[in-house]
Amino acid sequence: MGEVIVVTSGKGGVGKTTTTANIGAGLASMGKKVVLVDADIGLRNLDVVLGLENRIVYDIVDVTSGNCRLRQALIKDKRLEGLHLLPAAQTKDKTAVSPDQMRELCTELKKDFDYIIIDCPAGIEQGFRNAVAGADKAIVVTTPEVSAVRDADRIIGLLEAAELRDPKLIINRIRPKMVRQGDMMSIDDIIDILAVDLIGIIPEDDMIVITTNRGEPVVLDLGSRSGLAYRNINRRILGEDVPLMSIEEDGFFRRLRKIIGLS
Amino acid sequence: MAFLKGINNHGNLPYPGHALAADQDDLTDENTILIQRTLRSGQIVRYDGNIVVLGDVNPGAEISATGNIIVMGALRGVVHAGAGGDENAIVLAFRLQPTQLRISNHITRPPDNEAIETDHPEMARIRDGVVTIEVFQATAERQVRA
Repeated sequence: MGEVIVVTSGKGGVGKTTTTANIGAGLASMGKKVVLVDADIGLRNLDVVLGLENRIVYDIVDVTSGNCRLRQALIKDKRLEGLHLLPAAQTKDKTAVSPDQMRELCTELKKDFDYIIIDCPAGIEQGFRNAVAGADKAIVVTTPEVSAVRDADRIIGLLEAAELRDPKLIINRIRPKMVRQGDMMSIDDIIDILAVDLIGIIPEDDMIVITTNRGEPVVLDLGSRSGLAYRNINRRILGEDVPLMSIEEDGFFRRLRKIIGLS
Repeated sequence: MAFLKGINNHGNLPYPGHALAADQDDLTDENTILIQRTLRSGQIVRYDGNIVVLGDVNPGAEISATGNIIVMGALRGVVHAGAGGDENAIVLAFRLQPTQLRISNHITRPPDNEAIETDHPEMARIRDGVVTIEVFQATAERQVRA
């Protein structure tokens, strides 16, 4: 029996889709059977981030309305054996699917997959209600901005109302230098307000932009800090106890420079 | 609860034991609800009586009572005590950092560009027609209502 995890945030642009893609790809690379569900009907882009856009034939609305069988709509990833995608429809809107249909869909997917990761649309309307309907657990993504934290707080309240308790928090796009200078909210500031468990922090990283545009999840890039951050999150999802990475930039290289006497 | 009601009913804060023994009938006509969770952005609580929150009131949340409001945590949202016009209502919080604080028909907000760091319980009430904030001291001699 699989586990359904919804990735949500309230605010747009904080990294829900990137996070969904990287958790999915990461878990699949660790040998799990994973399906990613794009619940952002009308504004689909999880397929683009994964580089699978050109393989789409059927979508989630085709499945829920009975146009095709679930198996026909699932797209196998081109790199990872265990990774699958159920794409969103692009020509419909959020009302094309109901929470009941989503619940049914999740139950169906749970039979075949270890993890079902749902990419929730921004906002708190029907798209959000659909995305959380079938979920067992929630991951809330935020960035160190007051507006994103405010929306995350609202979302955590709504998740509680939807009986999804104890969501896990990812703080995305941290810029260590700005935090040090006091220009950006620190991890402690955010946890102080939201009071939920932190499952990972992701530093701001150019590699995210590069890999996203290429359609290759950064989690598979072994050289980048953001990739490492996502790999740590995935290990925590699997129940491992992994310490939080230090947010200091180039910690390793700085230490190395110190050792060889350059700084 | 008797402890809190004692504040309102008597000039002096009685010893907890006294409050119970003294006049239980006096205490029962006051309405108080206990909220045992954190209020998050977008959540609103309105109540005809007193409110006690065991948790935080986050920015974007709103809490409004005709009586007193006590927050056993950080109060960062909008708070309105004495919403029915009671000038004697108080707001008390472990960390009083509201977005806006209203008592009766007085509306106040913290000064702009000034981060307020509080590490002790504080109480807001109207004194001489002005909302004042003072350090909360739970001593038996403290006068709450003149």
